[in-house]
Amino acid sequence: MGDGELIDRLRRREQSGLEELSRRYGPLMRYILSPILPDEQDREECLADVVLLVWERVDAYSPDRGAFSTWLTALTRNAAISRARKRRQDTEPLSPERASPAPGPEEQVLRRELLEDLRRALSSLSRRDQILFHRKYYYLQPTAQIAAEMGMTERAVEGRLYRLKKRLRKELGGAYCE
Amino acid sequence: MNDRNFQNLSDQELEALMRAGASSLPPDDGLVEEITPWRRAMKRALLGIALNLVTLNFWCLNYLLPAIGTLLLLLGFRALRRENRGFALCWHLALLQAAVRYACLILNAAVWQAEVYQLPWMRPLPYVLSFVSFVQALGLRAGFRAARQKAGLAPAAPGTTALAVWYLIMCALALVNYTGFLGWVLILAYFIILRTLWKLPRQLEEAGYAIRLAPVRFSDFALGAGITGALAAGIAGCYLFASGYDMGWVPVPEREQMGLDELREELLDLGFPENVLNDLTAEDLAICEGAIRIFVDQGDYPVNGGRLVTREESGYHVQTRVYDVNELRITGVAVELPGEREHWRIIHHFEWIVDPGFHGTESLQFWPAYHIEEGWSKGGEATGRVLYDRDGTTYAAPYHYLGERSYQSDTMFWGKQQNNDLFAAFSFPARGQRQRGYVAYDTLENADGYIMDSWINYTHQNSWLQYPVRTAMENRMRGSWNLSGTFSLVQTAIQFYPNDPEDFSDNGYTIIQE
Repeated sequence: MGDGELIDRLRRREQSGLEELSRRYGPLMRYILSPILPDEQDREECLADVVLLVWERVDAYSPDRGAFSTWLTALTRNAAISRARKRRQDTEPLSPERASPAPGPEEQVLRRELLEDLRRALSSLSRRDQILFHRKYYYLQPTAQIAAEMGMTERAVEGRLYRLKKRLRKELGGAYCE
Repeated sequence: MNDRNFQNLSDQELEALMRAGASSLPPDDGLVEEITPWRRAMKRALLGIALNLVTLNFWCLNYLLPAIGTLLLLLGFRALRRENRGFALCWHLALLQAAVRYACLILNAAVWQAEVYQLPWMRPLPYVLSFVSFVQALGLRAGFRAARQKAGLAPAAPGTTALAVWYLIMCALALVNYTGFLGWVLILAYFIILRTLWKLPRQLEEAGYAIRLAPVRFSDFALGAGITGALAAGIAGCYLFASGYDMGWVPVPEREQMGLDELREELLDLGFPENVLNDLTAEDLAICEGAIRIFVDQGDYPVNGGRLVTREESGYHVQTRVYDVNELRITGVAVELPGEREHWRIIHHFEWIVDPGFHGTESLQFWPAYHIEEGWSKGGEATGRVLYDRDGTTYAAPYHYLGERSYQSDTMFWGKQQNNDLFAAFSFPARGQRQRGYVAYDTLENADGYIMDSWINYTHQNSWLQYPVRTAMENRMRGSWNLSGTFSLVQTAIQFYPNDPEDFSDNGYTIIQE
């Protein structure tokens, strides 16, 4: 069964679609969840949440915006981060410093500019550095996991991340130091 | 100037910025696929399996591709080694394969490689490696199945069982030296199996995310570069220090031929060339006692490519190759000795009168007079030695090999032939002058009237540029016609009719200058 048929089944609300989703993408979703949610029970609960989210939002998915696996990965990652943040809020005591007001219009414009510059800076990186960036800052993978999966030592990963940050800083700095 | 100058951001601020920014910049489809932990390792392992069996016999690809394949096997299974026992077995076998294959690659650059491969414990090596590949295919199968089971999927590993069976059949056919039609069927089957295996990582991708890759002490790049560096150093070391035979040179005693002065005078009077006479050992000189007559044939021969000269002849352009330098002087001396039966001692002497530049391995192949069995028979074992001068001292050594050797040659015109010839193998040091040597043997008359026909084929190695390294003697035994590059061949013979007085000049000898 291809992704197209899987999506059709999910949209038709067929139980077999859910089963296929868990069978085919369960390991991928667990792989994404694992570095963000260290607790196994947390991960399984989050996985159930993500499956439910897919069930609810599958109509919003459009192949024009990317592969199903990319959409699913983003959904899983965001759900995991929300859960992790919620966990932290539940365990940490409330403090006045933590309360931050919503960004104002000027801040929002600046943020958009910043993201655009970051995107530009990222696109100038090598493919390997782009993968490294996303592993570290998007999937929040620990250095040990990145090292093992990229065939590098942890020290080499840290060194490469340092150079990557330096380069990004230079790229971004260059954009703003006018 | 904008007040958000990123050069002034602290590391923590930049880290936070990148983390926040990354959330809004999801990776593209290709990148999501590329982070799959399993696919890269598996593709490397499978490509390694494929390359290990490729034997394209040109541009050294039959060595390069398996070398790359072995490295890919190492890298692939190194990452998977802690996942399950199947992959751990594959990793250990990949280590074994790498050790053996890379050692062989280095060994191939040494002149004594053929001798090592002929050792009794080295002969089963190809079969052992085939069996290791068979066990590795079984390990791969077990690894795949365990990985799927871990991910909660039904165990499956399509193609791996067929690969294991394929290796087993190959091993069995190699053992019985099978060369028939089934070989082509197996090649076809191999490509089908590879195609099935190539699709495997994608088919099993869902299980791949459950795999935890092992940490590494050296990065893939460092491992690859280390192995490549070690191979390059090993091969370069062999080219530098194992490109010639160990000859055991010793200085020649000043009065080696002491007490044989009278005999020397007699032989010189008969026309024995003095330069050849000076190089004989006392034993070889003594054998010539009572010499009746002597026949000498001398010529200088080129081992360079020469140059093409075009001249006009009867309206046609005629191209001829001209050799300005003749580096090798070959002298044939036939000495008739007293006895009931006609008895000749044949001495083939050579001398480098111009340094050829490179000294690797050299070989002499003889077709002795007793090859014409009706006319001549063997009169004893061949003797001889090699010599060179340095700083006014003459050094001598026995041949690295001197004797008869049975071998099978395979030539374009005559096909496979079983031969038995007299060979001498030797090397000269890089520094030295007048590198020279001789081989002498006796022959006895079987029947009157036959020609004395004794050939010498001198094979000289022109350069170190060959892989795997073949000695001049091995090159000659293969009957190779490719003499334009690494090897040069000089062929000449001493030929005369002992009963024909015209072959001998008045003073008892003839010198033919070619």
